[in-house]
Amino acid sequence: MSEHLTVEVVDADGAIRDALNDIETGTSRQGFLKKALTAGGTVVLGGVAIGGLPALVTAAPGPAQDAKILNFALLLEYLEAEFYTRASASGALSGEAREFSRVVGAHERAHVAFLKGALGSKAGAKPTFDFKGTTEDQAKFLATARVLEDTGVAAYNGQGPNLTKPTLAAAASIVSVEARHAAWVRDILQQNPAPAAFDAAKTQKQIESAVGATGFITA
Amino acid sequence: MSDHLTLAQVDRDGAIAETLDRISPDSRAGFLRKGAILGGGIISGGAVLSALFADAAEAATENDIAIANFALTLEYLEAEFYTEAVAMGAIRNARVRRFAQVVAAHERTHVAALKGMLGARAVAKPSFNFQGTTESEAKFKATAQVLEDTGVMAYAGQAPRVDANAVLKAALAIHTVEARHASWIRHINGAPPAPRAFDQPKTMQQILAAVAGTRFISSGPAMTATGSSPSFTG
Repeated sequence: MSEHLTVEVVDADGAIRDALNDIETGTSRQGFLKKALTAGGTVVLGGVAIGGLPALVTAAPGPAQDAKILNFALLLEYLEAEFYTRASASGALSGEAREFSRVVGAHERAHVAFLKGALGSKAGAKPTFDFKGTTEDQAKFLATARVLEDTGVAAYNGQGPNLTKPTLAAAASIVSVEARHAAWVRDILQQNPAPAAFDAAKTQKQIESAVGATGFITA
Repeated sequence: MSDHLTLAQVDRDGAIAETLDRISPDSRAGFLRKGAILGGGIISGGAVLSALFADAAEAATENDIAIANFALTLEYLEAEFYTEAVAMGAIRNARVRRFAQVVAAHERTHVAALKGMLGARAVAKPSFNFQGTTESEAKFKATAQVLEDTGVMAYAGQAPRVDANAVLKAALAIHTVEARHASWIRHINGAPPAPRAFDQPKTMQQILAAVAGTRFISSGPAMTATGSSPSFTG
């Protein structure tokens, strides 16, 4: 596992919210670096923090490339599943937020199980996570969930064309559920569940950069 | 058929201009390279819309054209359904009305995008009769939920069948938006927004059979599940 530096977050609330906001606006790397420097912290480098993932080759689809992409997806599902599991266990959630975490957590855990099964011995190990308090406060939970789900949609859509057809079919069955999650939590937050006519696709690098910037993956 | 589309015509809501760059990292490069769409239609200057779909149009196979026309037929139906529901004024609840307005705009954008990609190969819009479902808020809500869930299954069923990557990117970008719509109206309706961990696809035949069962298409080109050019049923 590559060495990585963790961020010393002076203002946990502000920095995380800003990092999450940057994910959505696509300025995560620049914005986060700027904030980390002014906050006096050292920086998690996106690719390094999620060490061990090979860079995806956008060659013609094939089984080896499928495996790399599914491991990338598995990483994101591990993150989401753990996020919801911890949030549900924290006792911080009530009402619909609690129901959302219960239902969506079950889905993400099912996605993890499915991807691990599909990958077999090639499945990557679950990372260690630190959700920086976002699983222990309902408002932070909902804001973070929204970003995670929107990010999941963009990640899967970005990889779709790189997959073999059978694996694409499986990915399609998952990505629409992530989109349902995203719309649901947006509606809970009284934000537009479907902010655009077309959903964005992001590259692996963009996703890793964004996820790395959250600091959620610590090992 | 003349396909002289300008951005102003198709992007009344500003949705396309705002979102096109987000669809694909290379969409802008594609736009700079390509100027014409399949079928000989020309997208007028500033038509950012065509960036993705010009890519898609040049790479599309006959199979892709059939799939795109299938999608276009469903989008025509949804766009008309929502537009009519809003115009009827039977929707009193503000949350439901906002859903209808936002989704109507999206579906119209999807129609414009697919028509733009298909050019002269686009099927014409059928005539619709929504059997009273646009005239009652309760019927609207129930029907919207079915339509959106159906759209999700339709795109999921077709995505693995698409040949050209650029066409696939467009399909995936629409597919997840339909899923957001489905979740949204389910939430409004008090139904589970995400009823299962994995959404199921349906085949073109299954979807067309379901659509036929609604009797919403009253006349005009009928789609055939073989994917051949639609035959007129008169």
